[in-house]
Amino acid sequence: MPTVAMVTSAFDELATSTAYKKGMPGLRVTFTPHPITGRTTEESNEYLKGKDPITGNPMLEEIIAGLRDKLAEKDKHAGTIEREERPRFLPSDTADNLQQMFHDKLWTDGLPIILPTEEKVKAMLKGTSHAPDEVVGEMRPSGPHEAWKFTVEMVAVNAVMAGARPEYLPVLLAIASTGQTSLVSSTSSFARMAVINGPIRDQIQMNSSIGALGPFNQANSAIGRAWTLISKNLGGSGMPGSTYLGSTGNPLNYGNMTFPEAEENLPEGWEPLHVQKGFKKDESVVSIFSGWSFNTIAWFSPLPQQDVIKNWLTHFFSFGTGSATIIVDPIVAVELKNNGFATKQQFADYLIEKSANPGWLYWSTHEEEYKKAKEDVEPFASYLKLGETAEVPVSRYVKRPPRGAPAGTPPRNPIEVLAVGGGTNTYWSGGDFSHVGSVSIDKWR
Amino acid sequence: MKNCSRRLVSAVVFLSVLCSGVASAAEDQIRVMNPRGIMPAIQQIPMAERPGALDGKTIYIVDTKFANTKPFVNALRDNLAAAYPKTTWIGVDKVGGYMQDDPNLWAEIKAKGDGAIVLLGH
Repeated sequence: MPTVAMVTSAFDELATSTAYKKGMPGLRVTFTPHPITGRTTEESNEYLKGKDPITGNPMLEEIIAGLRDKLAEKDKHAGTIEREERPRFLPSDTADNLQQMFHDKLWTDGLPIILPTEEKVKAMLKGTSHAPDEVVGEMRPSGPHEAWKFTVEMVAVNAVMAGARPEYLPVLLAIASTGQTSLVSSTSSFARMAVINGPIRDQIQMNSSIGALGPFNQANSAIGRAWTLISKNLGGSGMPGSTYLGSTGNPLNYGNMTFPEAEENLPEGWEPLHVQKGFKKDESVVSIFSGWSFNTIAWFSPLPQQDVIKNWLTHFFSFGTGSATIIVDPIVAVELKNNGFATKQQFADYLIEKSANPGWLYWSTHEEEYKKAKEDVEPFASYLKLGETAEVPVSRYVKRPPRGAPAGTPPRNPIEVLAVGGGTNTYWSGGDFSHVGSVSIDKWR
Repeated sequence: MKNCSRRLVSAVVFLSVLCSGVASAAEDQIRVMNPRGIMPAIQQIPMAERPGALDGKTIYIVDTKFANTKPFVNALRDNLAAAYPKTTWIGVDKVGGYMQDDPNLWAEIKAKGDGAIVLLGH
């Protein structure tokens, strides 16, 4: 079917590279000025009378030509385009030149790396029993992008670059095996989080105590950093303009919030995350979370902790409005337990039930309900009478199957609760992260 | 004889400095492993033949429904209809968000249309 794609000019590189990778390098694309969002009809008419800002051709004539004009011979080709060869080693050079070359090619996170010599990679590979040439999996920047494949050795190369120790390698192989990039290609600047549970936390000396979310521990830091390098170099992510589009970017991408849960300090009855997800307590597991933003809450209040957290949750908003993860210091967990929440899930259910919506957010995301309110349909009419700045007593956090999941998929828990910290104060953090999945680390030892 | 010895010593010193420089440069060269993964081969898809003229043809304008872009999509349809009135221009919304496939719509366009414009973005 003759087709012309129309795309705004900010995405010219994305559109042309995607057309190439999908096998249609000659796809007819007409570009409009950027952004189109929020343009009026008059502004749109002006744009359409003008020229494609990338090609310089009159916009409407270009569209017509793309639908009408006979194709060039090269546009009719079928067959396979082989990609550039991937040598196992790079050409030799000085350390300084290689370091700069890695930066120039965007193979780093902008910080110095450990150069992955064969000796260092061999030493890294001692951290797993798996063969270097075993395929670990595939990873892509986001759904529409192509997936790259990678082996155990390739993960080890990136682990060396990040400053990881061989004993961290099973954790990195487990993370890589999920196929989850830490650098999701979206204009919304995603962040990712990796939570480690089980005996490996102590075996590799991770920090779940004071400053666990900060830059104070080699394992926490290097594993998080390696995930970013793996995402760039093995998952094809992180090329601004083509495979990374986050408008502002996200500082959480540097270390990807990688930390172990403080399992030993959980109050009795509060299960560690991996046990909640169906693993045995003595299994080592990494859990991947996806979100955008995080708040650290250092706040004293005469209200009980559950209500401070509930009220924060009501008024917190970001790109993600239907999921949340609360990370409490273990001494807050104990307080919550003493306040009657026998399990993490009981506390999560309390937040799901009791948190509300700010009026402006509710009405701006519920058009149908707004219409009904205006038609005096209850309970929406009563909600609207509360005023647009009031709290609408409807939670944003609903247990339902993930979007697009096949029928029969069990409902997703919209609020996760984790415990980490050194107990220096009764503080906690929260954000819009949702649980993506949990996988065994032991499998990769 | 004295001059000759001096020249010989100088030549030896020069050569040894040169050789040590070459050796040092060679020692500085290191070899590292490729950090990149394996990109898949690309399967080329032949593009659909174009008709040569659009008079009497039906073209679908498929809105992938990025936020607040409807005025532009409608303006596109209206401008095309005004400039190319012998072509039928049909505006349709794809189901779901931009990531969601819509096989029913593609089937309808194949059955009833002669081409499509698919748009847009932010």
